[in-house]
Amino acid sequence: MSKILIVDDELEICAFLKEFFSERNYDVVTASSGKEAIQLVNRENPHVLLLDIKMPGIDGLEVLKAVKQYHPNLKVIMVTAVETSDKMAEAFKLGADNYITKPLSLEYLERDVKEKIFKLI
Amino acid sequence: MTFNYQEALKNAALSMVRVKSPTHLIKMIARFLDREMGISHTSIIVLDGQKHQYVFCDSQGEKKVPKGLIKLEKDNPLIRWFSSKKEANGLIKKDHLSLQYLNSLLQDKAVLSYDKTLENRLVKIKEYMDTLKATLCVPGFYKGELLGIFILGEKTDMTEFNQEEMSFFQTLASDASMTIKNAEYKDNLLQKIEELEQSLDEIKRLRENDKDKYLQTILTFAYMVDARDPYTYGHSEQIKKLGLLTAHELHLDLSGEKEKILTSALLLHDVGKLGVPDNILHKKGPLTNDEWVLMREHVRTGPRILENHDDFKEVSVIIMHHHENFDGTGYPYKLKGDEIPIQSRIICVVDAFDAMVSDRPYRKGLAYDHAIAELKKCSGTQFDPKVVDAFLKIIEREINV
Repeated sequence: MSKILIVDDELEICAFLKEFFSERNYDVVTASSGKEAIQLVNRENPHVLLLDIKMPGIDGLEVLKAVKQYHPNLKVIMVTAVETSDKMAEAFKLGADNYITKPLSLEYLERDVKEKIFKLI
Repeated sequence: MTFNYQEALKNAALSMVRVKSPTHLIKMIARFLDREMGISHTSIIVLDGQKHQYVFCDSQGEKKVPKGLIKLEKDNPLIRWFSSKKEANGLIKKDHLSLQYLNSLLQDKAVLSYDKTLENRLVKIKEYMDTLKATLCVPGFYKGELLGIFILGEKTDMTEFNQEEMSFFQTLASDASMTIKNAEYKDNLLQKIEELEQSLDEIKRLRENDKDKYLQTILTFAYMVDARDPYTYGHSEQIKKLGLLTAHELHLDLSGEKEKILTSALLLHDVGKLGVPDNILHKKGPLTNDEWVLMREHVRTGPRILENHDDFKEVSVIIMHHHENFDGTGYPYKLKGDEIPIQSRIICVVDAFDAMVSDRPYRKGLAYDHAIAELKKCSGTQFDPKVVDAFLKIIEREINV
């Protein structure tokens, strides 16, 4: 079963997306901070990471940098309300596989996750 | 639970009249539904400003969709369902969609056989409603365009929505759509007035150069007003003709600039209607009290547009008073008799006559003799008797020709 790690400091968002992907037969874990995210990547070894940028403490871009270093195959999709082009450019430079801005279309998100996992096989 | 829908609807409608910002209104509705209706959660999605997508404007309740997280593209199954007109030869209703109705459609072989893609689409909609934890979706339209959808969870007493509740939501959705459009209209109005002022500067410039062009531009302006309302098309031109004839009949002093001022006022008397929302201007049927308030505003809006321009100071005053009645019962200032400029008294009579003999959205025009009788009846109350006499002479002459 494909595993997704959802990282967002808003618990409601974690819960909503977890339910959405669980119902579509994904194995889902969630983290609500950057620190927790890095720990869970090491422990759970997910296929895809849905990663918010603006979080207190370690932010999404720092998490991206850290995880890509040790898990180059992990697909990271930035899911964020931050829409500035410099953040976007930085994310791609650090190896992000996509950058989706909120509000997002669930159909698009699901398609993208599916596609990223397909590329791993 | 007993819930007084009539009362709730009345209160909701009253607060909508006062609301200025559409976002505020939507939040108010979501909170109202959440508080009063006993529903597990309520979300309202609306078409965004650029009209490309539908976003969650507000969510309330326990199992709500997080705010700002998701949007629905125009090709979303739910959006497409409400945006497209008819299904299965009109057998399917689209004023709401409940899970109960969706399930009954999915079991109705006769309906499904009309259209091979229907079953697949319904399944996708059901999936989407599951994701949103929705048991009822109620769309709001304005002029056939889907403006938004109420997305409602389960009732906390676990019963199905009944007919009364459904029609309550539908009325609320349609009132809200109307209010949102009106609020947007007000925002646009300020911008429109600015544009008009620019055209007036242009007129001033042209006028210095070329008198013919000035009149042309005034005419264009008058046509702009006419063109917004197919029922009054050509109205301004007719008013100008009859008004000038009446003024001559009254031996009014039209020397110097005076004739031009009267002509401009006759052509531009309804320019303030550019500020009346379409849905009120074109309403088929009598206006409500609140709508009348907005409609009457046009006698103030017109002068507001024109008064900053020296050339139009006198024209503004005439326009401002063209709905005053001779006996002091008109608006906006309840002026009486000679307090009302004579030019305004002329417009009042001519405008009323033309309105009576023209077809309107809600009725056919009156026959001429009917309209004449009406003028005579209101001579001395609504109209200046002197103006009515002069005008009737003109009309008799015109009809005989």
